[in-house]
Amino acid sequence: MTGLAATASRNRVWFFAAAFLLCSAMIKPVQDRVDARFARSPSVDPDMLYFASPAAVKSLSLGYQSLLADLYWIRAVQYYGRREEAARRQVRYKNLAALLDITTTLDPQMMDVYRAGSSFLAEPEPVGAGQPEESLKLLDKGIGFYPDDWRLRFDKGFVYFWALKDFRKAGQVWLETSRMRSAPPWMEGLAAMALSRGGEVETARALWERQYQNSSSREVKENAKNHLLSMQVDEMLWTVEFLAGRYAERRGGYPARLDDLVRAGYLKAVPVDPSGVPFDYDPHSGKATLSPGTRVRYLKVPYDYRDAFLQKLSSIFPK
Amino acid sequence: MRILAIAGNTFRENIRDKILYNLILFALIMILSSIALGQLTLGLEAKMIIDLGLTSVSVFGTLIAVFIGISLVYKEMEKRTVYALLAKPVHRWEFIVGKYLGLLFTLLVNVVIMTVGVALTLLYQGGTEPATFLRLLPAVYLIYVSLALTTALALVFSTFSTPALSALFTLFLWVIGHFNADLLQFATLTKSTTVGWIAKSLYYALPNFSNFTTLDSRNIIQSAAHSQAVDAGAVLWVTAYGLLYCAGLVAVAIMVFSRRDFK
Repeated sequence: MTGLAATASRNRVWFFAAAFLLCSAMIKPVQDRVDARFARSPSVDPDMLYFASPAAVKSLSLGYQSLLADLYWIRAVQYYGRREEAARRQVRYKNLAALLDITTTLDPQMMDVYRAGSSFLAEPEPVGAGQPEESLKLLDKGIGFYPDDWRLRFDKGFVYFWALKDFRKAGQVWLETSRMRSAPPWMEGLAAMALSRGGEVETARALWERQYQNSSSREVKENAKNHLLSMQVDEMLWTVEFLAGRYAERRGGYPARLDDLVRAGYLKAVPVDPSGVPFDYDPHSGKATLSPGTRVRYLKVPYDYRDAFLQKLSSIFPK
Repeated sequence: MRILAIAGNTFRENIRDKILYNLILFALIMILSSIALGQLTLGLEAKMIIDLGLTSVSVFGTLIAVFIGISLVYKEMEKRTVYALLAKPVHRWEFIVGKYLGLLFTLLVNVVIMTVGVALTLLYQGGTEPATFLRLLPAVYLIYVSLALTTALALVFSTFSTPALSALFTLFLWVIGHFNADLLQFATLTKSTTVGWIAKSLYYALPNFSNFTTLDSRNIIQSAAHSQAVDAGAVLWVTAYGLLYCAGLVAVAIMVFSRRDFK
């Protein structure tokens, strides 16, 4: 009897061990089946935002909104980082702005979220969300919370400059920022660069001149000087090109040397760059360039005012 | 003296409870996991540690307060040890106050352990200024006051209800207590004077837990995470509110317990 009971007990152990192994082996195929059904189901939207209202999320946080803000921020970063998944969606980053809005409503003090989040939104597709308007909204929200911090205004100018290509607006934002007490000294220079690129050349020149005269920083002074000299070089080159064109209209060909422009009465003397080095001249195209031996540190900023400048020259030197 | 003896016994009894160790262990694991989660925040590691750490202190502290608080008196009645105790020259009010103080001391020890866990995690992560550690203290203090209030609620229910129902009632009131501001807003928005009056009365009658999470419209954990100072005057007023409410609840618990028939 005892022997029979021991055998029965041993058999029971083997039975349950076999049952355990069988169940374990079945788990994977069953889970795969479940996953496959979910993947096929059209009703499941992987890009769904369960709570779209930032105020509702804040209200439901039971006082733990700080941690919830971190979790929403992590979710926004993950959402942005999954590029392949985004590429499969109709709108690549439909919920990114909403996630960042919820994050900054839960914790409006997250400076890094305003800065990095606005960059995620403004960056053009396919790298970023290509939503510069949403980026500006996020930055304005941050500026509302941090009115005395220059960094968010700097980022706002950056969105206008790079994402929207609105150089004039970028320059205006940076110019306003440069007047803040906390702004770094180079902000005014940045504004001048953007404004000149946006066609507001005289404002830009005035800003460079002010920086050159008033700045106590050697680097800022040097930068302002280089911009002023570069503008001067550009205008001199455009003038030479314009006068060579006029010369060609009257004499049937470009002057062979720049001396010819002086002899013909177009110029008082052979033009030299601000460092005193004569320009190189190509008689076939009638165009002058900076000599390789120049001491001017030319900053190639593609100014937008070349046509306007040539028009001004036309009114001074009518045909 | 008798109160202290009961409080000491309650503390010793609590620290033998396995649920306490499970909750503390889980809280410490959560606090440590903030190091890993912080890596996903793009530069907000310290904030993540403080947010998750202080939230863990608050959530697990609340769970400890509820699950130990609800059995404070009920267990004594169930095991009939209360008969032996009350046969001695101990007043019923001394029994209740001693029980309450014992659990408060248990909670204090737990909160200190969890806060040390947060501080050590911050130290491990490095780059945290010494002032940040000091900024944790007001938040931890207010969390502790809110735990004292939760304990008082659990104690009241523990005197007349079963542990399961007491836990449910306490947790319901804890959740409702975070929406108190909505009641006040509802009172101002409603057109009915009676409904407005009821909503306003409920606003004052129900425990206002948002007092302990938000000071001067700034979240207390957020202030700690951003290393901002808090208004000491506001902390004092909130402490006064907490003390009054706790005292009132302990008085209710004494009243209910005094009317119970143990014959």
